[in-house]
Amino acid sequence: MNEPTFLILTALAGEPRHGYAVIEDVERITGGRVRLRAGTLYAALDRLRGEGLIEVDREEIVQSRLRRYYRLTGAGEQRLGAESARLREQATIAERRLRARRTDFGGATA
Amino acid sequence: MTETRYRRLLALYPRDFRQEYGEEMLAVLMTDPRRGQVVDVLRGAGAAHLRAVRSGHDRAARVVQIFGAILLLGVALRRSGGGLLNPLLSAEPRPIYLEGVDAIRLLGWGLVVVAAFRGWRAIGAAAALAALAGEIASPARFYVDTPASVLHVYWMIVAGGVVLIAGLVARGGAVARPRGLAAIVLAGVFLALQSPILFVHELSPLRSGLVALAAALVLVALIRQSSEIRGRLVCWAAPVIVTLPLVQWGFGGFIEHNMRHPESTRLINPMQWTVLVLVPIVAFVATSWLGSRRSKGRPVAADGFGGTYDGDVRRHD
Repeated sequence: MNEPTFLILTALAGEPRHGYAVIEDVERITGGRVRLRAGTLYAALDRLRGEGLIEVDREEIVQSRLRRYYRLTGAGEQRLGAESARLREQATIAERRLRARRTDFGGATA
Repeated sequence: MTETRYRRLLALYPRDFRQEYGEEMLAVLMTDPRRGQVVDVLRGAGAAHLRAVRSGHDRAARVVQIFGAILLLGVALRRSGGGLLNPLLSAEPRPIYLEGVDAIRLLGWGLVVVAAFRGWRAIGAAAALAALAGEIASPARFYVDTPASVLHVYWMIVAGGVVLIAGLVARGGAVARPRGLAAIVLAGVFLALQSPILFVHELSPLRSGLVALAAALVLVALIRQSSEIRGRLVCWAAPVIVTLPLVQWGFGGFIEHNMRHPESTRLINPMQWTVLVLVPIVAFVATSWLGSRRSKGRPVAADGFGGTYDGDVRRHD
């Protein structure tokens, strides 16, 4: 799973959101590091809908413009859970090795 | 950037994608007009077109791989006819003789058929690659003296390439017997049987009859497919079919020149090679595009965007 996909699923795990709200939430959870653009966002949303990981929650017309809210499906929840577990496992290994490395170097950074 | 300009930009997306997300994307673009949005939208439109072309091809690709390999196996058997049939037809015992390239083609296409049914993607790709190399090497041996030798079998080289790509694109896993398989096997047998060795001069018209029968059986197999798969098969067949008129009319003068002037044989120049490679690719893309347009004939709004919303909120439960 690539990073934008992971972040979009994470954004939708909180609550159903429309496209621009997903962009804002992704920016928030990455501390401003990632700000998705429209082409990338909608390509990912289309793919995730096709894979059944997200679905449309509701549609609204706001200032004569369509606003469609997306939500995570059960399959999306499972996939995000599995990906989070995988990343956590890898992060744990990385931290453990870094701790061991610091111990080997007697607390000095290389 | 104005809304009109964004709309023009979004018009680059496939119609279905535009219908589904056009208005939403427009709203996001108008709210967030950052630098880089244009490039991102252009990239997204290109990717969406590629996905639209690819979509649905993965299922048809397995059928293409199986049918194509069976037919190419039939042709390879016919071309190896002398080495295989002479010993069998001869009253005196003779060893079976196969040239290296013939053996590679026969084994390669045979293995592709098995791999396609079992869902062995890597083995299928390796076997198809070897068989395609055999298809190319066979006429390439005579290319310098007779460049037309490559042109006469160019359709087979393209067909080999199509089968190789189909195997790579096809959905993974073992497959059930596709519809029309019996007709294709019979067509393959007819193609194999049209070896000149089996037909003395007086019976040679029968050889053309066998080819016609094989073509009719391929047509039967095509008709037996579901309309979606049938459309896709036509797309995959287009690159092969288009090479026949291309060589016939595009290279007729070239072939005739070489026949009339054996002392100054012309080789195929880089521009001609480019045409030989590009035309089949364009044929595939064009038929895929036409197919996707025809199969999605739903009405859309004049600006290409769908969606007239009859309420403020529509829930999807």
